[in-house]
Amino acid sequence: MSDNDLPPNRFELLYGMLLDAIPSSVLLVDEKLHIVSVNRNFLLKSQRGEGKTVGRPLSEVFPTIILENTDIERRIREVFRTGASVKGQRMTYRAPGIPIRIYYYSILPIPTRQVMLLMEDVTEQVRLSEEVRRVERHLASVVESASDIVLSTDTEGRILTWNSAAEKLSGLSAHEVRDHYFFQFCNPGQQAAVNTLFTLMKSGNESHTTEFPLVTRNGDSILVSWVFSPMKDDYGQTVGAVVVGRDLAERRKLENQLRQSQKLAALGVMAGGIAHEIRNPLAVCYSAAEFLLMDNIPPEFRKECSRKIQVGIQKASAIIENLLRFARPSPDTEMAPVDLHAVIADTLELISNQAKVQQIRIQLDLENRPVLVLGVSGLLQQVFMNIFLNAINAMPEGGVLSIGEEIFEAEVAVHIADTGVGIAESDLDKVFDPFHTSSPVGKGTGLGLSICYSIVQQHLGSIQVQSSPGKGATMTVRLPLL
Amino acid sequence: MCWVMECILRLQGYEVVAVPSGGEACEQLAERDFFFVFMDAKLPDMDGLDVIRHAQKMRPGKVRAALVSGYHYHDDPIIRQAIDDGVICGFLAKPFTHGDLLKALPSA
Repeated sequence: MSDNDLPPNRFELLYGMLLDAIPSSVLLVDEKLHIVSVNRNFLLKSQRGEGKTVGRPLSEVFPTIILENTDIERRIREVFRTGASVKGQRMTYRAPGIPIRIYYYSILPIPTRQVMLLMEDVTEQVRLSEEVRRVERHLASVVESASDIVLSTDTEGRILTWNSAAEKLSGLSAHEVRDHYFFQFCNPGQQAAVNTLFTLMKSGNESHTTEFPLVTRNGDSILVSWVFSPMKDDYGQTVGAVVVGRDLAERRKLENQLRQSQKLAALGVMAGGIAHEIRNPLAVCYSAAEFLLMDNIPPEFRKECSRKIQVGIQKASAIIENLLRFARPSPDTEMAPVDLHAVIADTLELISNQAKVQQIRIQLDLENRPVLVLGVSGLLQQVFMNIFLNAINAMPEGGVLSIGEEIFEAEVAVHIADTGVGIAESDLDKVFDPFHTSSPVGKGTGLGLSICYSIVQQHLGSIQVQSSPGKGATMTVRLPLL
Repeated sequence: MCWVMECILRLQGYEVVAVPSGGEACEQLAERDFFFVFMDAKLPDMDGLDVIRHAQKMRPGKVRAALVSGYHYHDDPIIRQAIDDGVICGFLAKPFTHGDLLKALPSA
């Protein structure tokens, strides 16, 4: 052996080893489409021996179905003819006894009047990319099937995706809104606020909840409740935003229906009470008028009839006024400094007779100095009047009505307690509802405490009730101090 | 309201006893027989129909009554039921004419 002979052998050996080490299949094919050589990977994947492969025609080594589907023989001839390589073709190959494999193959001309067939197994990559596509399709159908608006934007608020619910509600297709700023579909007055949200999301992690209208294709505004959430990448950087919106029109409609049916129910309750309250004085007036029509009635009786008519009309009118007051809580009265102690004292004077008749003792425990609040004394008096009368009504067998107070830095709390029948636990959250009444028909319209509630709210205060049945009730009125 | 009934009935020569509550009505009805009873449906302390039922139980067959009410109406199911059950023999809706009131009285 000469020195010159050794290197080619060594290189041949080396290249043979390299080829066998490559995890792809490499075949050399001559012009007659016979296989000149193959590497180990091909023999492994095709489950063939070298003896049955090398020197054999391509048509014997590859299954007919592959030859037909890939038209590989024609392609190889084409490479021999033109000298141009064929790259990145796909081939599905199933050797006997092993699962299906997917290859990308290239046909590369080499100067020895041969071509190299390079086959790369991409089964795993294809499986993964199909899995990714399946997950993508699933996510897309989740977003598409949602009845809420789901859209995504870049960090500047330009729309990237827009689901079918958004298309349906706005009348604008995803194609039309893509790359437009989201604020373009908001009212002009809202746009600055929307842009602030996108700015906040660039640096922050929190979601933002808000309500504002979406402007549709035909210019209508639909009230939507929105949640804006920043979209983060793997490094925690904001890469965009996800905006979810729910049409509030449907909810508002239901709320209105509920309010309407509550109003109707209330009117039903009220009809009985009002009928009784008003028809009594009406009946007296009617009869008195009928007496007046009779001949020869004594002058004293004539006077009495007239007085009964007047009193009856006043009574009916007072009932109507009470209703009107409930509807319109004194809109034109101005707030002024009021001494709450004086208001309570004046009111107690008005009810003291009634209390005496029912053998109710009044226990007053207030500090001996004025307590000033900003308010309308007539309205505040109405509040205490209603509460005192309720307390008296709750004590038909007599008892104690006690009035105490706690003065805090910014507010005063007046506690009015009775020793009466108390309020059932199930009724506690209803006592401030209009027309809720525990009194027999004719005794109460159920408006008193709801009037108190609206007056106290108007004074920026609060009113609460505590009670256990049989042990009386305590009403607490809190008002801000002047 | 009692004032109206008292005036109308006294003018016709009836003797009238008026009481302001269901409790007192029960006491009166327990003590003596009345020719006829006009009962308000909604009394401060009791339901008028209950007072009549109570009185009829105490003096079976001796209490004849008409219900007077601003709360019920003529073909009110409660009123029809009370008439069918024999609790009341008449009903007066407020306001009523003096003629209506007198017509409710039995002719005997």
